[in-house]
Amino acid sequence: MDNIVKMKEPKNLSPRIKWLRDFYFEGAKRAWNNEYSCYTDGKPWDFLFDELTYYIVPETIPFYQTYTSSSLQSAEKIDMPEQFWKLSLKERRATFIKEAIVNHVPTEIIPNDLLCGARFNMLSSHCLTEAEAKDRNRLVCGKNGSRKQEVDYYYYGFGNDGATSGHLIPDYQKIIDSGFEKVYTDLKSRYQSMSPAEQKSSHGEQIRAMMIACTMPKDLAMKYATKCEEEAQKTQNQLRKAELLLMKANLEVVPWHKAETFYQAIQSLWMTHMLVMTDENYPGPGVSFGRLDQYLYPYYAKSKSEGMTDEQAKEILGCFWFHCNTAYDAQIRVGNNGITAGFGQLFNISGCDAEGKDLTNDLTYVLLDVIDDLSPILEPKPNVRLHKNTPDKLMNRVVDMIASSQGAPFLLNFDERSIAGMMREAKAGNCDDRIHSANVADYASVGCLENTMVGNDRSGTVDDNLYLYKAVELALNNGKDLTPKKNDLTGKKLPIKQHGPKTGELTDLDTFAKFYEAVKRQTAFIIKKSVEIYELSERVRAKYGNTIYLSTLVNGCMEKALDVTEGGAQLSFVTIEGVTYATTVDSILAIKYLVYDKKEYTLNEIKTALISNWEGFEIMQAKVKNRAPKYGRNDDEADAIAKDYMEFFATETWKYKTKSTNRQFRPGMLSWNYWASAGFILPASPDGRKQGQFFSNAICPSNGADIFGPTANTNSVGFALGGKAENGDFHDYCNCLPNGASHTITFNSSLLRNPDHLDKFKAFLKGYIENGGTALQINILDPKMLKDAQDHPDEYKHLLVRVTGYNAYFVTVGRELQNEIIARESHQQY
Amino acid sequence: MKILNIQRMSTEDGPGLRTTVFFKGCPLKCAWCHNPESICPLLQKEWFQIRCIGCHICIANCPNSALSIAEKRIITDSSKCALCLKCVDGCPTGAMQQLGKSISADELYSEVIKDKAYFNGEGGVTLSGGEVMAQTTEAVIMCQKLKAKGISIAIDTSGFTQYGNFRAILPYIDLILYDLKIDSALEHQRLCGVDNTIIKNNLIELSKESVEIWIRTPIIPQATDSIENIKAIATFLENNAIRFNRWELCAFNNLCVDKYSRLEQSWQYKNVPLIPKQVMEKLLAAAQAIISQPQKVSFTGLTRLEEEQK
Repeated sequence: MDNIVKMKEPKNLSPRIKWLRDFYFEGAKRAWNNEYSCYTDGKPWDFLFDELTYYIVPETIPFYQTYTSSSLQSAEKIDMPEQFWKLSLKERRATFIKEAIVNHVPTEIIPNDLLCGARFNMLSSHCLTEAEAKDRNRLVCGKNGSRKQEVDYYYYGFGNDGATSGHLIPDYQKIIDSGFEKVYTDLKSRYQSMSPAEQKSSHGEQIRAMMIACTMPKDLAMKYATKCEEEAQKTQNQLRKAELLLMKANLEVVPWHKAETFYQAIQSLWMTHMLVMTDENYPGPGVSFGRLDQYLYPYYAKSKSEGMTDEQAKEILGCFWFHCNTAYDAQIRVGNNGITAGFGQLFNISGCDAEGKDLTNDLTYVLLDVIDDLSPILEPKPNVRLHKNTPDKLMNRVVDMIASSQGAPFLLNFDERSIAGMMREAKAGNCDDRIHSANVADYASVGCLENTMVGNDRSGTVDDNLYLYKAVELALNNGKDLTPKKNDLTGKKLPIKQHGPKTGELTDLDTFAKFYEAVKRQTAFIIKKSVEIYELSERVRAKYGNTIYLSTLVNGCMEKALDVTEGGAQLSFVTIEGVTYATTVDSILAIKYLVYDKKEYTLNEIKTALISNWEGFEIMQAKVKNRAPKYGRNDDEADAIAKDYMEFFATETWKYKTKSTNRQFRPGMLSWNYWASAGFILPASPDGRKQGQFFSNAICPSNGADIFGPTANTNSVGFALGGKAENGDFHDYCNCLPNGASHTITFNSSLLRNPDHLDKFKAFLKGYIENGGTALQINILDPKMLKDAQDHPDEYKHLLVRVTGYNAYFVTVGRELQNEIIARESHQQY
Repeated sequence: MKILNIQRMSTEDGPGLRTTVFFKGCPLKCAWCHNPESICPLLQKEWFQIRCIGCHICIANCPNSALSIAEKRIITDSSKCALCLKCVDGCPTGAMQQLGKSISADELYSEVIKDKAYFNGEGGVTLSGGEVMAQTTEAVIMCQKLKAKGISIAIDTSGFTQYGNFRAILPYIDLILYDLKIDSALEHQRLCGVDNTIIKNNLIELSKESVEIWIRTPIIPQATDSIENIKAIATFLENNAIRFNRWELCAFNNLCVDKYSRLEQSWQYKNVPLIPKQVMEKLLAAAQAIISQPQKVSFTGLTRLEEEQK
């Protein structure tokens, strides 16, 4: 038996794709890159960097000023004609971005590349008038502006939120199938059907601006077509000449007209997609592709019947993969190729239809080949949808790939549980006209694993990240902070404040029911507070941060004549992602066990121990860690509380809508990297965690708590989401988190050591379909390899690990997180 | 029923994914035993040094003053210890841990049924030990309930029991993992503490039934690892036309070394290295040369790493 796990290497690459892949990994040494191009309108009050979108990346708070000035400093001035300033803001912004990308960003063709559309990362002028800039400045930087409130909210340990880019699936299929010309025609008739008064209103402005934005891809395609022609003239290589002329011919068709071939479909998809990142001024954060193998299949089948080989299809897709990765170039000089792990251009493959029938096709397998051949590579991120009728052939391919990579080179989504969540959303969000049994199977995932509908849905899936443990902290001090907090930016101590309602002195909480009620009331409070804080950035974005081009790709915006940032999407949600879930549940369980069941300590003693960060209270700490029940062990009593708390969180979340944009809040559980950083802000917790130690991640049990292995862990996760019931949300499946929840399990590599064991792993996945959550990331790690990677980071540059819904290169994550990943490797060690 | 623990998602105790129940108490006393904590039928305790925070509550809790500290270790005077387990009750960290628990057939059933979704027909529940056949009456009650739910059941047994016990459990089980360790009765008596005549006879009888049988032979250095022993077992199987689906030669492993020290017992195999792959291959060849369906014979388990052999 081979005890050493070898690093996954790319394989079967054509010389072209190998060259492009190697070229990408040259990183900052590359002669060409896709760094931000910066453009200003030249007004003294202009700014490019929009901090709103970065509120959810609190590490960046100290750099807002630097980003703002440096982007402006390096900006090229674009002189706009005088009449530009007579246009509405919406039209100005659409015009400026179009002008910048079409006429100022260099039009370049990468050697050997088969796709056009190279540079797209851009920071552009906000095109505000002086009065508008002043108003925005007040809303953002004023005394009660979004920045100060956000910063306080974060450092007090509530979490973070902000109106953030991306995280949706534009209606790319519409563009591939009918071209932008169709959108343009529709917009035109929409505008003509408006009354003159409406035309003059912001609705009219929106439609006019969208018409401008709609022509941007057409004009850019023409620029690239001209460039292809020039390069074709120059080259002596006849083969390359032919390629360039074919690229040119493609661009004369797409994305303005509908695609005729698979090649054109990919070219159309890429250019349409990259311009979303241009428009949002933010590269690729969860701008996802949806069910790639489904809507591209007709083109694949047609081109195959016309003589395209799978090798040719894979070359085109390989180029597409290359371009997706260049999104990271935006901040390439920051180091580590600019990779921040925060992006995520996700696509789904396979999955079921409305009747539960499997939809795997030949293209599914071609895409899996491309993933397998190119991996390890970060973008785009594949997500394979499994369900009860997933064919054995696909299941075998999935398990083989997990075995031969260091961990699954894709996420797994589980249809039945996911669909149950979407059906719950249809009810709770009053949108069963948009989500119903006939179309719910068309759902897809964005970003990491967040489930949404496709082409008409913005669910703000990373916009509101709430640290649930804050509620326990408040409950333990009658609504006040338990410990003083600190603003890292200023170094100033933040005084202990009465944030929440007075839910009782600890001596009054003399039954578990009373204590639990106090935690729930504080939970309701922090949810409400997060909604209020979120509003501060939502309203600014709606007013001054429209994304007109993106709105042309999101159904609902044209009908409502609203920008997608104004709640234009047919399905407009903001997701509250509950962070620190298991730690919160385990804290409640620990208090129930020690204070109320065993009566070994009083609440006040627990409080004192927490304030002392458990120092001097080691025996008490040992008891909560080792003797108290925990979530993640398939323990009926513990999991019942986990489920009850989950339901409470969900029910409270559904109570709110944004004021400025009428977007409904919905619940989810994704923790990105907050579970690590929150550990330093919030005090010690009653489950035995010390301040500075990480919280639990997303819906995963607390680190090391799942001592009964992956099946018990999985059963707890599925049960907490809602489990099964006779009249479930979808058949017998229940799920109160439509967004879904990130679940990571790390397996020992020995589990996949031979064909016999691969079958056993398949059995696990089949069980997960029945009992588990919405999404699973599988890590297969060998601690020896990871420790070696710590010692020799240069030799492990490509070692990918998957942490809470995103992939990261192991050597690029901090030492603490590295140690954490190593600790998780041996699954059953506490 | 006295069980030691329940291992979920087990991949090594039969086909598919399994939930394995380790029963407590075994009539055999094999010198190399990998589950020494399962031999004694009584509840016991063990001490994990790494988890101990030195609070000494265990010492204070002991009504018989059986516990004391020596070189930072908690040691037990077994002449005083009444196995009352008050030391375990008081331990905040789980360093002092109870070995074994009493459980009813119903309780056990409701635990093992939790992973039904992962069994997928092929997998199921394995009753292992210790020796499940030493607690047949109650085990059968649980097996009946599992069988009614369509769960596949395997037993992992030393075969040292009255045949009547097999007769009682046979209607419910699908697979027997049957240990044949040593062919010679004398050697078996010397190394495992019991004569193996009944074990061999039981296998001959079971072979006449329809239950699937996997034979397992632990390959233990200087105990069972001689070519002669393997040839003799193979000959026994052939001569008696024993019907089996697999015969696995399971290479010795030393992963249980800490168990002995936690039980404050010495283990003669403590420093014995893993078996080289070539040795396993030789034994396999010897067995395959005799068995009429050699493809049914295989070896499993960890073998010595190349670099360690150099």
